[in-house]
Amino acid sequence: MLKIENLTATVGEAEEAKQIINGLTLEVPAGEVHAIMGPNGAGKSTLSYVLTGRSGYEVTGGSATLNGDDILEMDPEERAAKGMFLSFQYPVEIPGVPVMTFVRTAMNSQRKLRGEDEISAPDFIKKSREIAKQLKLDAEMLKRPVNVGFSGGEKKRLEIYQMMMLEPRFLILDETDSGLDIDALKTVAEGVNAMRSPERGMLVITHYQRLLDYIKPDKVHVLAAGRIVKTGGPDLAHRLEAEGYDGVLGEAV
Amino acid sequence: MTTALRDLIANPNAAELELIARYGMLPEDARRERAFEAFAKGGLPHRRVEGWHWTDFKAALPVIETPAETGVAADPLPTEGALVFSFTPTGFTWPEDLPEGIRVLAKPEAQAFGASEDMPLGALAAALAGGKTKPGTLMIEVTGQDLPRLHFRFSGDGEANFARVQIILRPGAKLAISESYLGGAGFTASLMEYSLQAGAEFSRTVYQRAGKAEVLAATAAVQLDEGADYRQTTLAFGSKLSRLETRVTHQETGAKATLNAAYLCAAGHHADITTEVRHGAPACVTRQLTKGAVLDGGRGVYQGKFFVPRNVGQKTDADMQHNALLLEEGAEVFAKPELEIYADDVECAHGNTSGALDANQMFYMRQRGIAEEEARALLTEAFIAEALEETGELEDVLREQARAWLAR
Amino acid sequence: MDCCGGTDEHEDDCTEVTVKEGIDAKTVEAAKALESENYSAGFSTEIETEYSPKGLSEDTIRFISAKKEEPEWLLEWRLAAYRRWLTMEEPTWAKVRYDPIDYQEYYYYAAPKSGAKYESIDDVPKEILETYEKLGIPLREAEVLLGVEGAAETAATAREAPRVAVDAVFDSVSVATTFRKELEKAGVIFMSISEAVREYPELVKKYLGTVVPQSDNYFATLNSAVFSDGTFVYVPKGVRCPMELSTYFRMNAENTGQFERTLIVCDEGAYVSYLEGCTAPMRDENQLHAAVVELVALDDAEIKYSTVQNWWPGDEDGKGGIYNFVTKRGDCRGPRSKISWTQVETGSAVTWKYPSCILRGDDSVGEFYSIAVTNGRQQADTGTKMIHLGKRTKSRIISKGISAGKSDNTYRGLVSINKRAEKARNFTQCDSLLIGGRCGAHTVPYVENRRADAQLEHEATTTKLSEDQLFYARQRGLGEEQAVALLVNGFVREVLQELPMEFAVEAQKLLEVSLEGSVG
Repeated sequence: MLKIENLTATVGEAEEAKQIINGLTLEVPAGEVHAIMGPNGAGKSTLSYVLTGRSGYEVTGGSATLNGDDILEMDPEERAAKGMFLSFQYPVEIPGVPVMTFVRTAMNSQRKLRGEDEISAPDFIKKSREIAKQLKLDAEMLKRPVNVGFSGGEKKRLEIYQMMMLEPRFLILDETDSGLDIDALKTVAEGVNAMRSPERGMLVITHYQRLLDYIKPDKVHVLAAGRIVKTGGPDLAHRLEAEGYDGVLGEAV
Repeated sequence: MTTALRDLIANPNAAELELIARYGMLPEDARRERAFEAFAKGGLPHRRVEGWHWTDFKAALPVIETPAETGVAADPLPTEGALVFSFTPTGFTWPEDLPEGIRVLAKPEAQAFGASEDMPLGALAAALAGGKTKPGTLMIEVTGQDLPRLHFRFSGDGEANFARVQIILRPGAKLAISESYLGGAGFTASLMEYSLQAGAEFSRTVYQRAGKAEVLAATAAVQLDEGADYRQTTLAFGSKLSRLETRVTHQETGAKATLNAAYLCAAGHHADITTEVRHGAPACVTRQLTKGAVLDGGRGVYQGKFFVPRNVGQKTDADMQHNALLLEEGAEVFAKPELEIYADDVECAHGNTSGALDANQMFYMRQRGIAEEEARALLTEAFIAEALEETGELEDVLREQARAWLAR
Repeated sequence: MDCCGGTDEHEDDCTEVTVKEGIDAKTVEAAKALESENYSAGFSTEIETEYSPKGLSEDTIRFISAKKEEPEWLLEWRLAAYRRWLTMEEPTWAKVRYDPIDYQEYYYYAAPKSGAKYESIDDVPKEILETYEKLGIPLREAEVLLGVEGAAETAATAREAPRVAVDAVFDSVSVATTFRKELEKAGVIFMSISEAVREYPELVKKYLGTVVPQSDNYFATLNSAVFSDGTFVYVPKGVRCPMELSTYFRMNAENTGQFERTLIVCDEGAYVSYLEGCTAPMRDENQLHAAVVELVALDDAEIKYSTVQNWWPGDEDGKGGIYNFVTKRGDCRGPRSKISWTQVETGSAVTWKYPSCILRGDDSVGEFYSIAVTNGRQQADTGTKMIHLGKRTKSRIISKGISAGKSDNTYRGLVSINKRAEKARNFTQCDSLLIGGRCGAHTVPYVENRRADAQLEHEATTTKLSEDQLFYARQRGLGEEQAVALLVNGFVREVLQELPMEFAVEAQKLLEVSLEGSVG
């Protein structure tokens, strides 16, 4: 599914560019959920932006493919149409554009890029209602501009709503647990778990082990200084929690 | 006498001489003379005059002539059920049947124009409106509430088009009007005066669109009595040089003014939105939002001013925001959001931004699969639309015009 | 991973703090001593003064030039400016009103009689030294000078001793420049501009008038013709000036115009922090001050220029006071250079002043931090211009205006983005505070954007001192004026933080003094 080999990438422009991703290799097969954990500044968010094509992040070496397609040369929207979905750590406010309009435009743009037909308005509304209900989202909220005036928890739920609407093939959750209380965390995790399927892969990026109690990973990778320095099963997350990054990493190096 | 006035303008250009000649052909009228004098003191305003620095009429109007490429823009504002008043360079038409609650007088002579020195092009319109086929002042008195919209259209091929309209709303009256400036004449200057008496409600929608040859100065002077509610929305596409200027005076307590505008300027188009609000009475409210989007070769100008005099301006609540997008390199946006405040118990704020679309928003949309061009159009439209939200029944029409321009 | 985020910049910050730590104890003390008296700097000094002939003519200019033993080129330069000035008109666009100035009623040169040049501090007349002492300006720090000879190299000594070198200008002449020797060791040239003309003519000739041309504006042109003295600073390549440099201006003589000229050049990679302070005695007539300050920052250089201005503002009825018509401009000539203006303006009857930055070098940075306080019948029209020419240039403007009494306080600023200024950035914040219902606060920003990739933001607010906050503070036992001072301090905090510490204390005290009698 997602295959990253010896990836290097920099952040910033020209002379000020800093290398953040430093020879990263990782494979997430279809049907699996992998967690990436790491201390602040390890390059976790950078990885998610490099994979989704944000400007200001430059790949200087290595490769990344999704189902065999080289994604690094693609525009962000092409990657999205290929099925890459990033749940943002800080979802962006877009004044003046209602959620429904936004998601429907996104869905139809993706379909168009894939050569598929547009979704009909009744089908879209039906689908939206079902998912909103599942996530306990108020219908009024979906008429409001994207993320404008939403609480932290609402924003994260709205990310999951979009994910469920767009049905991507590969999910990247960037610090989805930050700013969530326990009830919101459960709702969000339920949504994510409902998305698990044999055709779909997930990368869960998190600083804390807490989220992994609700979204159980198949594998846990530790990212430090832009590389995967340790890989293990779900218990690795618990060890990190108990011993801290220094403890676990000290032994790895 | 004309000779004496001629001397008032230093180094007149051909356009100014033509304006003097036109004035000379109108019947003698003391008020007209005073208005023309007010204009002639400075002549066509130019870049060295504060307030006209970015919008130089003297440079843009060397002569007054029919544009070589004439073509009046289509009027998108619906006229069905509206009362249409049409000013062209050579004539004037107005509806014969008027409902109860509206009285119209087409006066051949000029009326006094108080703040003429501050508004030289308004004074010029007051001085040159009229003649054989057009009224010197079109006076409208409104007493009713459930009235059809009045629509004023300024268009038609020719050298110049001057018009002056005064509307007075008696206490408690309600009225919606719209104005379309559609080009065709080399130079158009209008002076619109709106007086709202206690508790009156007034909604004004201005649509301006013209080619690269036309020069326009649309001046409005608004006076608000106690508790009056004035709402104005402008959508301007500019022309060779277009200035849409509004002066509002809160003259009794509790009045409210909402002044919103959007400008969209393509290459060769210059749109200037200038406003000045005088809080001449306590506890008045002003809300102002101006949005602009400009392409390569276009220029947007925004000048806003709140003036709060000593003592009488207490409890003023005024907010002014101007946000502009430069959609391409080569676009220009000049802004001057000004506060002049002499009363201490006030809440006044202004904000001004200009630049490109927000990179975070663009990435977020593209990450969800929306193509770059579409994301740009969607964000720009949402950005502009915010300034059109107070328009009332004409909001959709304006929004559609903005959308079509953005999808160019 | 350390707590600082592991960036190198942080370490730089840490070292900078130690440089700033050298609080000039005398200045602080002096500032504290400025107590109930509204303008404690308002005394005049009894000293014999030598004047130029009254009024302005080519002869006056020849007189000044001869007094200063200037080379021919400079005399010609002055005369050219004068001839130009005769053709110019006084500007009227600022929001200030004053009676027409009769330029023939002023003396354009006044100097203490006992000699216009002083070989050493011991030659400076006692009265002048006493004046500066009253003002809290540490000129006669013999003991410190001795200390410097010996062990000033160690950081410990550096922290204890006053680390401010002072050039003091009394009317038209510079009377003393301190810490010369230590500065010379570092290669820093710091002297009066008259001396620099004699000792470093090539440097002066190379830079004088290159930032503020002779013909720039009415007052700058007048200054070019008659400038009397001022300060010259040159920091050579790669040198971080080891201490704060400071000039203190004092207008003493009656009917005198002060026209100082300051030129600061920071060569590649150099850094200097410069402080300027101004006072004048209370006199019934209006004194004229038309200074020009030129800053040049070459590649990677940084200049920090701070001003505390408390010229005599005139009395409560608006009689007397200084007309302060100043042209200050910095040129970020080299890439990655930075110029930062910080000003605390509490004095003068009329202020007309726009310290500006020309951001010519790519990636250069301009900053303007301002506190302007007006009370009584003062009028201030002040702000900045940020002219973005180079790529990725950044500017930041923070302006805090406080109006009280019957005064008028205007912020006027220009942010101009040139077509070549790729990815330029500006942030402007302009806040005005009104104290009492008889004053005025105005904001007149001009923003010219010619780049689609520029990012410009401007915010402004005008409010009054909050009754609620005032009551809250008084309920807790603060006196009314104390409460006002406290709230005003909060209002201007962002700017005060930009001042070198010894100035911040003085500025804070000045604010308090300036606002006395503004409530109730």
